[in-house]
Amino acid sequence: MPRRTLAIAVVALMLVTGGLLAVVHGQSLSGEYKIGVLEPLTGPLAGEGKRHLEGYEIVRDMINERGGVMGKKLVFAVADAPDPTAAASEANRLITREGVKIITGTFSSRLCGAASEAAARHNVVYWETSCVDPRFNKRGLKTVFRTEIDATGFGWYNVEFIAKHLAPRFGKKPNELKIAFLSEDSSYGQGVTESARQRAKQEFGMQEVAAEYYSFTSINDFTPIIAKFKQLAPDVVHHIGYTNDAPLFWRQAREQNFLFRAHVHAGATGYGSPDFGKALGADANGAFALLEPGPGFRIEALRPEGQKLEREFREAVQKRTGSYPLGGHQLAGGGLWLLKLVLDRARSDDPDKFRAAVMALDLPVGSVINGWGVKFAENGQNANDRVQHYMLQWQNGQLVTVWPEEFTTNRAKWIPLGAWDQRK
Amino acid sequence: MDSARRLGPAQIGVLAQLGVSTVLLGGIYALIAVGLTLIFGIMRVVNFAHGEFLMLGMYLAFWAFTAYSVDPWVMLFVSIPIFFVVGLVTYALVMRGVIHASHNVQIFTTVGLSTALQNVALVLWTGDFRIVRPWHSSVVIRFADTAFNLSQVVAFLIAVALTVALFAFMKWTHTGRVMRATAQDGDAATLMGIDTDRVYRLTFAIGIAAVGAAGVLVAPLYAVYPTAGLQFVLLAYVVVVLGGLGDMVGAMLGSLIVAAVEVIGSYLFGVAWKEVLYFVLFIAVLAFRPAGLFGQRGAETLGA
Amino acid sequence: MAAALRGRAGALAFFAVAAAVPLAVRDQFFLDTLILILLWGALSAAWNVAGGYAGQVSLGHSAFFGIGAYSAALLSARYGQSPWIGMLIGMVLSVGAGLIIGYLSNRLRGPYFALSTIAFSQVLLIVASRWRGFTAGSEGIPVPFRPGFATLGLGHVAWAYLALGLAALFYGIQVYLERSRVGYQLAGVREDEDAAEALGIPSRRLKVVAVTASAALTSVCGTLWAQYVGFVDPFYVFSVDLSIRFALNTIIGGMGTALGPWLGSILITALETYLRATFAGMKTGFAGIYLVIYGVALILVVRFVPEGLAGVGARLRARWTRAHA
Repeated sequence: MPRRTLAIAVVALMLVTGGLLAVVHGQSLSGEYKIGVLEPLTGPLAGEGKRHLEGYEIVRDMINERGGVMGKKLVFAVADAPDPTAAASEANRLITREGVKIITGTFSSRLCGAASEAAARHNVVYWETSCVDPRFNKRGLKTVFRTEIDATGFGWYNVEFIAKHLAPRFGKKPNELKIAFLSEDSSYGQGVTESARQRAKQEFGMQEVAAEYYSFTSINDFTPIIAKFKQLAPDVVHHIGYTNDAPLFWRQAREQNFLFRAHVHAGATGYGSPDFGKALGADANGAFALLEPGPGFRIEALRPEGQKLEREFREAVQKRTGSYPLGGHQLAGGGLWLLKLVLDRARSDDPDKFRAAVMALDLPVGSVINGWGVKFAENGQNANDRVQHYMLQWQNGQLVTVWPEEFTTNRAKWIPLGAWDQRK
Repeated sequence: MDSARRLGPAQIGVLAQLGVSTVLLGGIYALIAVGLTLIFGIMRVVNFAHGEFLMLGMYLAFWAFTAYSVDPWVMLFVSIPIFFVVGLVTYALVMRGVIHASHNVQIFTTVGLSTALQNVALVLWTGDFRIVRPWHSSVVIRFADTAFNLSQVVAFLIAVALTVALFAFMKWTHTGRVMRATAQDGDAATLMGIDTDRVYRLTFAIGIAAVGAAGVLVAPLYAVYPTAGLQFVLLAYVVVVLGGLGDMVGAMLGSLIVAAVEVIGSYLFGVAWKEVLYFVLFIAVLAFRPAGLFGQRGAETLGA
Repeated sequence: MAAALRGRAGALAFFAVAAAVPLAVRDQFFLDTLILILLWGALSAAWNVAGGYAGQVSLGHSAFFGIGAYSAALLSARYGQSPWIGMLIGMVLSVGAGLIIGYLSNRLRGPYFALSTIAFSQVLLIVASRWRGFTAGSEGIPVPFRPGFATLGLGHVAWAYLALGLAALFYGIQVYLERSRVGYQLAGVREDEDAAEALGIPSRRLKVVAVTASAALTSVCGTLWAQYVGFVDPFYVFSVDLSIRFALNTIIGGMGTALGPWLGSILITALETYLRATFAGMKTGFAGIYLVIYGVALILVVRFVPEGLAGVGARLRARWTRAHA
């Protein structure tokens, strides 16, 4: 009967769909232990996503050289999560198709919420290594953990640096400092900036003269902001930038002779990205960025076991990428190493045993990659003071570690920043 | 805000700087919009992939500079014929088949093209942000209290020159008249013996050449990455609508208006609301004067 | 009822299979994909009401989706209210927004209308991402999962049937549009608005009604999506990409047909899921290939099969009938 043709076609379409999706991989060959890795590999976040994946792969190889996890070789099932729906979907797929019991990722605050929800509903462990949304650990989910500090931690460190290290060197008290906040308006930028604003005002009484947000996808010209800021004459510019807007701001600030005593950023993008140095060369001198340890880092300041790990990690990154470890590598790699420590202890991926092992971990600063320590709170968040962060500064085309001073051979220069062409 | 209100010498300096910014930015927007207004105006096609051709122009400048040390200003002359050919090829492969189809088909064809191009760039060149840094992007020209960046100034001048050239072409050459006639009434044009297919092909090629050239010019000013086109494309549409379809002068004036709204709006209300301002302007113009501030009344219903 | 069902064998087959899947299959990924297919299909059907049946091609429907998502998320996360109430509020707000769009639709045609809808959705995006005090700004809103029907905290099987019910409802609405007087009038407006006006059809009012109804339906889906995925991010829920997706499914499946949205949804959702799963594991950096395929496939389908999959079905049917005449 003719009318049935469409019906048959529809059913056929659905069967083919089903067939395509039905491919099951399951937990693989004995001797291998598979975890899920969820990162944005396409879309606007792809650049950083790729770096994170590299970091994971490098540390995975380090782990396998030491015998893997729970006596088996560590392997990955990698999934692409360009948006929240995909993140949830892919998390589901990793769990049901690939049979993973642990998922790690995702770098972006947009994705970690959805992905961790999906994992939690299956009672699968979700091991976040990078997203900074402060609410991530406040949902009462027992199998969700984060190794990196959140946005409030970044803001905390930045203000710490400004108040304790910069202010005295300007000859001012923290509450005499005028500070202008500028930020790209993603959840990362907003999270860090708001927490910095809060601490600056409440704990130190700094004078906030401006707080402006912009969209990094559409900002073409900072002239209006610079014109406004110039009149407000801030001492410190706290600017959270992304990779395309940071060089633009710096270039235009220089052109329009916008002077300030210091410029502080946090994170591996924007001023913390090697692209900033490539864009500006020596003109980049002076900008600060809160990051994982960079050149000048005194590995000797770490504990012996931490030194060994850190050296090995750096060599591996150098070999694979030809460069110094970048933020993405350090966060993903550091986080994966902590996962290995948990599995070594728990000898199981059963959620309860896993959680018990996580809570039992207690290492001081300087013990593992990046000079981190580890101590998780009940809500699954690694403590701020264990996840040591460092302030780096651009000096002669390179980001070097300048603070805390006990961890580095370098010292911050140009405090306060003088005229633009005086920073050699 | 109070200190900003009193009109002293500092304020005049600020106004002058904002003015310079507006003009320079406007010139760049004009070059991007001019290709779009041609394509939209004459072919009545909403080209969602317009930003991607800009992005390709930026990458062309980047690779020429990085691999062969060719300055973008030199690359510009090479890029125009390259993108002209790219336009011809794209027309033949993608656009020609849908030129007489419904708007939806056209929209989605260009959407597919946009996705494909963005991801080809991603696969070939990765998502890393690239920088083109020729000698002139760090040269600052100072005049009174204002500062101009040399790259930006030259980009502006070239944009103006190209736009004027296109305008002259459209107004005074035979081909230009033919193109305008086709825009007004495609059927009548055919009846007059005009080969509309050839006109569309030429229009598209010119439009793509313009935006590709814009990409090369703009590369020293902004970062180059696969989704860089998105930064400008919606804005280009606002300009085109403001200025009126197919209207070169309208595109230039529209660019200045959009740039002014952006710059002054950012200064007064904060950068956060800049896009809201020009989107609201966009919707208002569409609602009350859809032919654009400078276009012919009723033009928006033509060929719809 | 029988008359309405005659000739709807395709739809019956679809719903029958969809209903059977959760009974036969317990695999969560499968169910997840089914739920997404049904949900995206419903969204596309909602779009179809304005775009396919009334001819108002909007590329800003994510505005309504986002309103629905935010209403539910805010009410549930911030005020502890049931998302069903959020759904109602979302619908009301979307009707308001729909009236604005409807007004614009009466002044603008074709691409101009499409562009104005994009601008509208982007204005909402910016407002949502900046209004930290109310919407938590760019950080978005995590939607709490509280088990129970009133709070839409459901398991995958329950979600599948809920989505199926939604799909059936939206399908029914479209069928109603096809067969009712209102539907015929809309068809007239769509094909030739001036002629319809000449016949005394209140075209302007009808267009506004169609857009507004479409807005409300889209908002409902937005609420459900927010509860299902559990996280509302302004850059996603108000994005142009989403708006394009709603229209895309319908166009590929067949604009102005009742089953079209789901046919398109099956194809696109399955293709995307399959390609993404297959290519993500490859050498880092090659993950973008699946999107290139997707883009090219889109160009080809839209060019060579513009009447959509449902149209292909009709063509095959006609050929069969002729062959057997």
